[in-house]
Amino acid sequence: MTTINKVKKVIPDEAIPEVGTKIVNRDGQDYLLVNDAMFTFYQRSMGEFTPFFLGMRDERKILGCRCTKCGIVRVPPLATRCPDCNFAPTELVEVGDVGKMLSTPPITYFASSLFQEQVPSGRGRIVLEGADTALSVNFYTTKGILVPGIVNRGTEMKVVFKDQRVGDITDIFCVPASELTSEQVARKGLLVSEIDWESAAEPDLPQQGPNDRGRFASALAGLRALAGEMNQCERAREDIADWKRNVHVKTAGGQMTMTIDNGDLTFEPGLVGDPDFVAVCADPMVLQEGLAYKGSLTQAMMERRLWISRNPEFTTIFKLERMARSLARSKKV
Amino acid sequence: MGKRVGIVGAAVTPFKGRWVEKTYYELAQWATADALKDAGISPNEVDGAFYAIYNDIFERTCIPEHPLQGILGLQNKFGIRITNGGATGAYTMSAAHAYVAAGRFDVVLVLGVEKATDCFDFQSMSATPEVIKSIGWSGDSFFEQKLGWTAADSYAEVILAYKDEHPDDLKPEISAAISSQLSMQVRTNPYAQRQFDQVTPEEVLNSRVVAYPFKELEICVYSEGAAALVMAEEETAKAISRNTGQPVVWITGLGEANEHSFAGKNQKVMHRILSDHLAAQRAYKMAGIKSPIDEIDIVELHDAFVPQLEVTMAEMGFVPLGRADSLIEDGIMTPGGKLSVNPCGGLIYCGHAVGASNIMSAWSARSELIKQGKRRALVHGTGSTVAQYTAALILSQE
Ligand SMILES: [Zn+2]
Repeated sequence: MTTINKVKKVIPDEAIPEVGTKIVNRDGQDYLLVNDAMFTFYQRSMGEFTPFFLGMRDERKILGCRCTKCGIVRVPPLATRCPDCNFAPTELVEVGDVGKMLSTPPITYFASSLFQEQVPSGRGRIVLEGADTALSVNFYTTKGILVPGIVNRGTEMKVVFKDQRVGDITDIFCVPASELTSEQVARKGLLVSEIDWESAAEPDLPQQGPNDRGRFASALAGLRALAGEMNQCERAREDIADWKRNVHVKTAGGQMTMTIDNGDLTFEPGLVGDPDFVAVCADPMVLQEGLAYKGSLTQAMMERRLWISRNPEFTTIFKLERMARSLARSKKV
Repeated sequence: MGKRVGIVGAAVTPFKGRWVEKTYYELAQWATADALKDAGISPNEVDGAFYAIYNDIFERTCIPEHPLQGILGLQNKFGIRITNGGATGAYTMSAAHAYVAAGRFDVVLVLGVEKATDCFDFQSMSATPEVIKSIGWSGDSFFEQKLGWTAADSYAEVILAYKDEHPDDLKPEISAAISSQLSMQVRTNPYAQRQFDQVTPEEVLNSRVVAYPFKELEICVYSEGAAALVMAEEETAKAISRNTGQPVVWITGLGEANEHSFAGKNQKVMHRILSDHLAAQRAYKMAGIKSPIDEIDIVELHDAFVPQLEVTMAEMGFVPLGRADSLIEDGIMTPGGKLSVNPCGGLIYCGHAVGASNIMSAWSARSELIKQGKRRALVHGTGSTVAQYTAALILSQE
């Protein structure tokens, strides 16, 4: 068994708010908001699932349950009795760690607050060799950002085990078998550290073309005009309330700095200040169209026209998209 | 078969993205007072309450209904809470119907209330990621929650699997057209969260992907609000109707089904919403409906996502599976078509105050039947992981 080096908290410290209150005004009346939480800690029984989780943790193998009557193999081993055979007993059996996706899986771009760090993340269902039912798994690509089309119905996937395992379902995930060598696919209990992961290096910008400088100047002017309108739009200001970010934007025709400061959005030429993250888009119009609500920044990221240096900053991208929509809405009413 | 049961009063509060001005106590009392007023009765005449409240985490309390019993004027009477995921409201109406049909009570209150967006994520300084997180606790707790399972996954998986089977159906421009149409229909619903948020099909197509394959403008929005109905057995219903001058809208069919929550052989068929199919078939059978498209005029459907609306319509027999796009292409649900679908704007535009949503749909179906002088409506609620639960009701006007 591998040991855990870093002590992780059940609730991440950064998610926990301070004790405090806030007053908001509606139609001239003040109303009170109180920072709060409902929390309960558990020492949770894994009961009959213990062999399944310990099998993954200690032996890098996956167990299912086989009905002694009809022979169906369920993974995960959901029941000690088969509900289809009048509750005939089942027995634990080992299944393979290669399988096929049951159906085309979704990809989450806007995650819950617990999973902001992981987006974009894939979760789908794999039918492992020797199994009849599907196990939910996270999946990744070894080739950078996850986009639709890499993993589909029937895509062959390999289970990968984390080097440090804790005995829960996140000890494993899947990658497309086609991204691995045949030797890796055949290796039982393949570890994360045995795979080459393409590092998320800042993408190179193309050589500056003759029109790029003009395009940059025009995009910057457009962005500044949009920011001016957003700063006058109450709904758009609300979208970035209590949010502060310095973003360095690099494009083929030049560089600019986007600053978000509690309701105010500004753009200025050049790289100014200490950035919270870097955004790279060869064509600055990608950014301008996104904020003008004529295109989607998320879509641009999915199509690799826009790159950001930190995954959790998807949150900021979403806030910008929300502002774009707020401004577009306010213009209609 | 039991006694006939009718709806004799209904009300909703405005649905809003946030009600900082009101707690769920006040929202519940508001909707109840208005529904009883609509029926022309006082709390003394109500025999019991059926509470539709989806999620303890939203209300930030367990047994969230207990403080309501007294403030709704129902002290020392029957009260029960139903919680069935997204289908909570539809299942609560089903339960209330059963008690009245069985002769246990003459008049009952069905109350849905939800306060979803008090949940707040202090890292992104916004509500939605925490709302999604709280719903994420609904995923299977041993094998799925820790994978980042989300509410959107419930339908995204089904829709993508449906697309695997029917790659030419659910074209993006069709779901964009439906979303745009719903945004036009909501204009006449003064209680809607997005009454004046009209969008063009182009805007829907350009909106960001939130959870592949869904775009922001084809997804329901979380709401806060309440909805209430008064249900009564036949003789009482007729007496109330004579008093108010409003016709009774009878509940003539009900059906429910809950699927397996894991997929694969002998379990959930991922490309189907069999719960929708089975619940609708059971409701049609009870109501004596042979051809739903010819015998139903109004559909108030739980549209969590536009592509799911389309598949649900196919599962409920209005169009063939694989041809859901004919809802628009053949003009079935376009203005002047055979069916009026979600005249209230649906959950996408009126809003999704989870426990209250399906009851809001029934409120709309009842008022549209009366207003338009139509004969039959279908009310639908879906919920739980992998689109697992459905309850469907047929409402009829004589
Ligand atoms: Zn069996």
